[in-house]
Amino acid sequence: MAIHEKSLIEPDHILEHEKLVVDGVDVSGHWNTMILPRTLTDYDDDFEKVIQRYPGGENVHRCWQCGSCTNSCTMYALNVDFNPRYWIYLTRLGLKDEIIKDKDIIWQCVSCNKCTNICPKDVRPEGVMKALAHWLEEEGHTEKKPSTIFDEEFWEQVERTGRIEDSHVLMHFLRKTRQPLMQEWLVDFSKRMLRHLPFAHLFRMGWNFLFRPRTRGWGRTGQVLREWVREQKEAAHG
Amino acid sequence: MQNTVLVVGAGPAGLSAAASVAAAGHRAVLVEKEEVLGGAPILSGYARLIPSGEWAKDAIGRMVARVEQDPNVTIHKGTRVTQVDGEAGDFTCTLSNGGTVQAGAIILCTGFTHFDSINKPEWGFGTYEDVLTTTQMEQMVAGGKIYCPSDGRTPERVAILLCVGSRDRQIGREWCSKVCCTVSANLAMEIKELSPETDVFIYYMDIRTFGLYEDRYYWKSQEEFKTKFVKARIAEVTRAPDGRLLVKGEDTLVKRPIVIPFDIVVHAIGMDPNEENPEIARIFGVGLEKHGFIERAEHYTNTCGTTRRGIYAAGAAYGPESIDDSISQGHAAAMRAVADLHALVRKAS
Repeated sequence: MAIHEKSLIEPDHILEHEKLVVDGVDVSGHWNTMILPRTLTDYDDDFEKVIQRYPGGENVHRCWQCGSCTNSCTMYALNVDFNPRYWIYLTRLGLKDEIIKDKDIIWQCVSCNKCTNICPKDVRPEGVMKALAHWLEEEGHTEKKPSTIFDEEFWEQVERTGRIEDSHVLMHFLRKTRQPLMQEWLVDFSKRMLRHLPFAHLFRMGWNFLFRPRTRGWGRTGQVLREWVREQKEAAHG
Repeated sequence: MQNTVLVVGAGPAGLSAAASVAAAGHRAVLVEKEEVLGGAPILSGYARLIPSGEWAKDAIGRMVARVEQDPNVTIHKGTRVTQVDGEAGDFTCTLSNGGTVQAGAIILCTGFTHFDSINKPEWGFGTYEDVLTTTQMEQMVAGGKIYCPSDGRTPERVAILLCVGSRDRQIGREWCSKVCCTVSANLAMEIKELSPETDVFIYYMDIRTFGLYEDRYYWKSQEEFKTKFVKARIAEVTRAPDGRLLVKGEDTLVKRPIVIPFDIVVHAIGMDPNEENPEIARIFGVGLEKHGFIERAEHYTNTCGTTRRGIYAAGAAYGPESIDDSISQGHAAAMRAVADLHALVRKAS
């Protein structure tokens, strides 16, 4: 028997073997279709606290599910699956798997802040969306955003040498984001710069590119900074 | 023409009414069927009262002491009124202890009966030791330690189910018991205070923490004590093989069935009409409204009245009522009774 209204069932809840023989009876195809139950069997009591540690997520526990955020949402008007009220509820009860199912739309929040302005309990839903997007990214459920990749590259260099080398940051960023090095704007930029024959500048760039000097006395400072950042991260995210 | 006012029932409303009658210079006779004064808050061992936060035995204890020390209040404990003859201004009331009281007016402060959770067997009360009522949980809070009755362990999770015995046509209770939401939010905070590692969940249909209870109880329990509110009316409480309780229902906000393990399940039981109301109605000759509470007279000009002239009522006798409002109504009914007696005297002279 085929399943009517298949759209109401989540695809990963439908079990169907293409070829299956049970006790000598061929039940291949939809004859062996099974549907897993949708029952929620537990909460994750600590998840709310995890999201509260991200900037913007602090007030998520205040939500009483009035739906003002979803009602006022710019994105919801375009896509009914974009439902901040629902994700806040999932966060509160720690229904992580359900949140992960929506990983590809949560980041679409346009930060118009209509929800934050209308929320009677000052939950700041826009902040919660941001916190959720960050959590999804940090847990590896979504790909790193280009800005995150840039930040990481930037920080890595500062940490190591106390300064950044523009051409290195740019090269690494383009490589990590799988973009061609020969960007049209970059070629244009270089051509215009070369028109002025900046020998001293080019020499300095070349020198820095090859030898990557550190800020004087950076060794100890970098170590302390690294330690401090680690402590801050631990304090924020456990 | 009698100057005495008979007050029936010595709970918050009755204690308030008797004290006010005496304060107005009349004699009050207070008749209580139990051997102890104080009504439900004392008899059922409530913990801290809403909204004062005072322990019931202290707050209600003061009310009891006030009437006991008042020479104008005569108290009959362990006594019932068995017969009422006469009319407004001149009632003759027969007591079960053989005495009679000549009274000009009668105030019924006969209160309510807690809903008996046995009548909702699907929610596990009486079947599982760790399913309790709000009254039992209050007693546990008053005892100062939160634990599972079955084996004494500290609960990781407590579920409070709202509207047990309220808002339920299936069992003929078509009223909201008015205080259970606030009581439950308060209880959630008290549990968290005594046992910080316990997470409290409240399963609700609506939250009715009316008036000034909104932020003091609902918001505070959610925002400061991390109580989780889940919109689901529970279908069934069963037991898992490991001994924990399983709370089954539909989470209406995610449109999904839930089966969640808990260590303690608390029924937020509602207020039934006093189970003796049919008898009370017969003896005093007053009517009952459709749910079985004492029928309120036209309220605008016949405040605190019943269907019989000269007989008044106050508090939960009329329907679910908070302790504070019961006390106010007791005072109001006393003033009404005394004022009517004065009017009768003026008319006669």
